[in-house]
Amino acid sequence: MSINDGDMDDGTHWGVSQLLARAAAADVCAESNLSVAVEDFFLPEDSRLDERLRAALSTALSALVSAVESAVRQHAGRLLATRDAASLGGLLARPDKPILERLVSSGVVRDVELMRELVGRVRQDVLAAALPVAAPEDPDRASLLARLVQNSDGVVAASAMALLAAESRRHGDPEGMAVRTDLPAELHHRLVWWVAAALRGRFAADAGEMLLVLDRALCDAALRSIATHDEGDRLEAAAMRLAAALDSRADELAPLLVEALADRRLSLFVALIAHALGLAYDDAREIVLDPEAARLWLVLRALEVDRESIARIGLALSDADPRRDLDSFAEALDSIVATPAGSARAALAPLLLHPDYRAALLAVSRGRRA
Amino acid sequence: MNVTDPMLPPVRGRIDRMGRLLEADQRLQDLNARAGGGVGQPVAVPQIATLARLAQRLGILVSRGVVAADGDDDVELWVRAEPDTDGVRLMITGWRTRAAWHPEAAQGERDGDFLRSSGDWLWETDSALRITFVSISAGAKYGFDSAAMLGQPLTRLFSLGEDREGAFPILGGIAMHQRFDDQRATIRATGRAVQLSASPRTDPSGAFAGFIGAAHMIDDAPAASPVLQPQPALGDLSEAFAARLDHALRAPLGRIIANADSINAQSEGPLRQDYADYAADIASAGRHLMGLVDDLVDLQAIERPDFIVGREPLDLADVARRAAGLLAVRASEAQVRIDKPGAQDSLPATGEFRRALQVLVNLIGNAVRYSPAEGMVWIRTERENGMAAIIVADQGKGIAPEDQARIFEKFERVDPREPGGSGLGLYIARRLARAMGGDVTVDSAPGQGARFVFTLPYRA
Repeated sequence: MSINDGDMDDGTHWGVSQLLARAAAADVCAESNLSVAVEDFFLPEDSRLDERLRAALSTALSALVSAVESAVRQHAGRLLATRDAASLGGLLARPDKPILERLVSSGVVRDVELMRELVGRVRQDVLAAALPVAAPEDPDRASLLARLVQNSDGVVAASAMALLAAESRRHGDPEGMAVRTDLPAELHHRLVWWVAAALRGRFAADAGEMLLVLDRALCDAALRSIATHDEGDRLEAAAMRLAAALDSRADELAPLLVEALADRRLSLFVALIAHALGLAYDDAREIVLDPEAARLWLVLRALEVDRESIARIGLALSDADPRRDLDSFAEALDSIVATPAGSARAALAPLLLHPDYRAALLAVSRGRRA
Repeated sequence: MNVTDPMLPPVRGRIDRMGRLLEADQRLQDLNARAGGGVGQPVAVPQIATLARLAQRLGILVSRGVVAADGDDDVELWVRAEPDTDGVRLMITGWRTRAAWHPEAAQGERDGDFLRSSGDWLWETDSALRITFVSISAGAKYGFDSAAMLGQPLTRLFSLGEDREGAFPILGGIAMHQRFDDQRATIRATGRAVQLSASPRTDPSGAFAGFIGAAHMIDDAPAASPVLQPQPALGDLSEAFAARLDHALRAPLGRIIANADSINAQSEGPLRQDYADYAADIASAGRHLMGLVDDLVDLQAIERPDFIVGREPLDLADVARRAAGLLAVRASEAQVRIDKPGAQDSLPATGEFRRALQVLVNLIGNAVRYSPAEGMVWIRTERENGMAAIIVADQGKGIAPEDQARIFEKFERVDPREPGGSGLGLYIARRLARAMGGDVTVDSAPGQGARFVFTLPYRA
């Protein structure tokens, strides 16, 4: 995301001292520009974001922030109007430069967990969009989720419909997207408070003596935004509920996985794996998105997925993601299939430990190395 | 012959486990032979050999588009390689010889993007026409439960209506897996009228995987006004005939063309060359008739007394760019360059977008058809006397002054000796232009190329 902190141009009215000061500042600036360029150049190529991901990430972040911003602004504006601060309320409700720049320059959105969620989401979207369209053998057979909506098990039917709705919402009209963040509760809360704080910074000068009124209105609006957020409505949660409702046996799972990919329902694919293995959605997503895919093959073997299904999954993912090496997958397929399910499960065991415990293990080992 | 026809029958072959070609239909044998191979030897077309080996190693059917050198040409093939115990079975379709080929799937997605930008809200279906996506916000905005429609048949959401000719455009879209526009419908839950358009989503081999569609709320659209002078009503019989023409002729013609193509491709076995050539003639005559059916259906619509066109603001330069884009492939096949208005050009006018596009596709299509190879078609924008004008000029042999009135008559042609075309295109184009308050005119001299001018009222 490029954020321009452009200097205001004072025209020709520079004094000598101002000119010197600016020159000195430019010197510092050039130095820091260079160090950014150096950093950028030496970043390892395969973990860098490509331009497409970078653009998608930037769009996703600004959509999230503007969703929260418009909700908080609107409500705070209304509250101010009823609290004898109508003119301040009017200011809040007016169209304005997005608050995102303030958040980015303050550095708060460099939050590892928020970025993990966003990068994962964006990578998943890019991969899903690139999955090859696969027409069914029988054109009259409805697609997987459409069939599940008709399922006689009411829980499955309702979960399938909820997933379709969540996907429609997430990938719907670009303007309509700015309604909800679809973030895990904790991240949503964090983001709402950041936005409220940034809005305070933006309007503090306008508020003058009414600063405390502004603070209260922003607080109340933020609390309302937090209270109405239901993380159970998230696309990821809907996919997990469907996977749990299906609770497929090993022999049912493989065709479901293959069909979910053929229908380009990557969220369901991830959720099916997560549920079958007892992982969290985002852990399973990371495994599925990893172009190395070694863990994914182990996972599929641990779930006793057959050779043909693994081949189909590998082929579809390779077609969607140019970083994956189809040839070496084909080469390795026999040894993947030869891996006994038991050994695959044993190899994956550390993944299944409590995520906080794993995070702590990682942190401790990193600390020791340092 | 139109080799991009997805109905073209496949060419088959077999490869053993060692990668040797065991047997192949004539076309594949020829391709392989030109690459230096033969039956009993390893497959000589490297892309096909690689694909077969991949399918064998993975143990599943793999299908891919590949580009293979064939003499001086590059031929684009769609290859399905299916492994079995003895080796790999091949099935090849496509055989496109042009270089700049875009996979069907991408084309569908691109059409989808166009629709997205124009519709009030969007929907998608799978191949069984179950709704797989709908703009959730549309439900709240237009008063129906959009989430509850997901997974349901499309007809649960919409009640489909006939268009002016008594036809259902969506049926054609479903049968031919092609784009349709102007399907009238109402939202069942509210009774509000909408107009549906959609383009098919196809997999890379061209198989139908669903629709990407848009809905336009009709109530919100600018009011259309009748602009044609009333004409004597056509007899009931001819009207009914024209209304059914589309249905009555399309399917049998489609079958004739497909079968003729398959005979021409010799997919069921070798055939004497002159018979194969006759089959190509039959297919091309069939395509000519199909084009005529399209034109007659249009003709029937514009000659009705209640024919109306929309009056909406449009940018003629943009319409011209889109029309040129639609004809880009045909132009490159004919080795003709189209010099279209630049991206910054704009020419505000009033008319109906779809009809203006139809007129320009016709004019530019004619210009491409009558251009010599390596020729150029110019499209220029101009504004004169309150009219917005698009000028389409070619380097063809031109039109003698005495013919310039004739070519706008029904069933007349710019050059009667040229094959193809129904002789209705210019007639329809002029009628449409005049219905929108504009005109189509021509000035030209033999040997100087032709210059067609399409005008619409300028929008200040």
